[in-house]
Amino acid sequence: MNCRQAHKHICESLDEKIDSPRCRAIKKHLEECPNCRHYLKSVKKTVKLYKKLPCPDLSASSRKRLYSALKADGPS
Amino acid sequence: MTAKRSFEKNNDDQLIARARRGDERAFLELVRKYDETVYKFAFKLCRDKTSAEETMQDTFISMHRGLKSFSGRSKLSTWLYRIVSNHCLMKRRRRNVDTIMESYDEPALAAGDEKTPRWNETPADVLLKREFRKLLDKAILALPMEYRIVFTLRDLEDRSTAETAKIVGISQEAVKSRLRRARAFLRDTLHPYMSHQGTSLQ
Repeated sequence: MNCRQAHKHICESLDEKIDSPRCRAIKKHLEECPNCRHYLKSVKKTVKLYKKLPCPDLSASSRKRLYSALKADGPS
Repeated sequence: MTAKRSFEKNNDDQLIARARRGDERAFLELVRKYDETVYKFAFKLCRDKTSAEETMQDTFISMHRGLKSFSGRSKLSTWLYRIVSNHCLMKRRRRNVDTIMESYDEPALAAGDEKTPRWNETPADVLLKREFRKLLDKAILALPMEYRIVFTLRDLEDRSTAETAKIVGISQEAVKSRLRRARAFLRDTLHPYMSHQGTSLQ
């Protein structure tokens, strides 16, 4: 496996079964290639950043407006 | 299906059956159970409180009117995720997104790139910066909605590939391809900032 092939599958490797032949080939390539290791690390970091990006809670006033809208929609 | 999930589904099925018979309390119980999930999913897709609230209202009104047609074969949460996704897709700017996104099958990585960028800061540190949070918002908003939905379901909502495929109505292979491109797009969009930021924060 070369860098080009590895790049194509690095993002997917985050989901691959750890012992699949393709995953083993990617891991082998990563052991030998610092560029690809760095790339994989940056992709993982990207996902982590978005996971940790704050998301507001539903406010009491938004919830109240939701219930009013549903009430106005009449009986189901 | 795990025991907990199976219990959840049975519990939902009972509430849905009652709601279908016109029991408004059962309906509201379902709304109460999923309102936070729906709101947060909508927010993650549009990054805006007003739009998220509007999408949440439209979603539950659709559920209010459409519960009778809900087959019950899938989970209620799957159905709700689908309504939110469809709502956001209808509002999006139409572009030929697949052509644009194909370039992310081979992410840009120049030789020796390893030395310049700094992806070493911890998320906790970097997310303290308002400017950086804005950049993350901007990057995800630039990601076409079809791809944003898959990234959000898989990576942020931790839905499986199979469930994401069901929600979006595409094959599991297509889910994997969209996820791969979405991650590459976001990574490449943040990359210049990460390299710049790393040196300025030393």
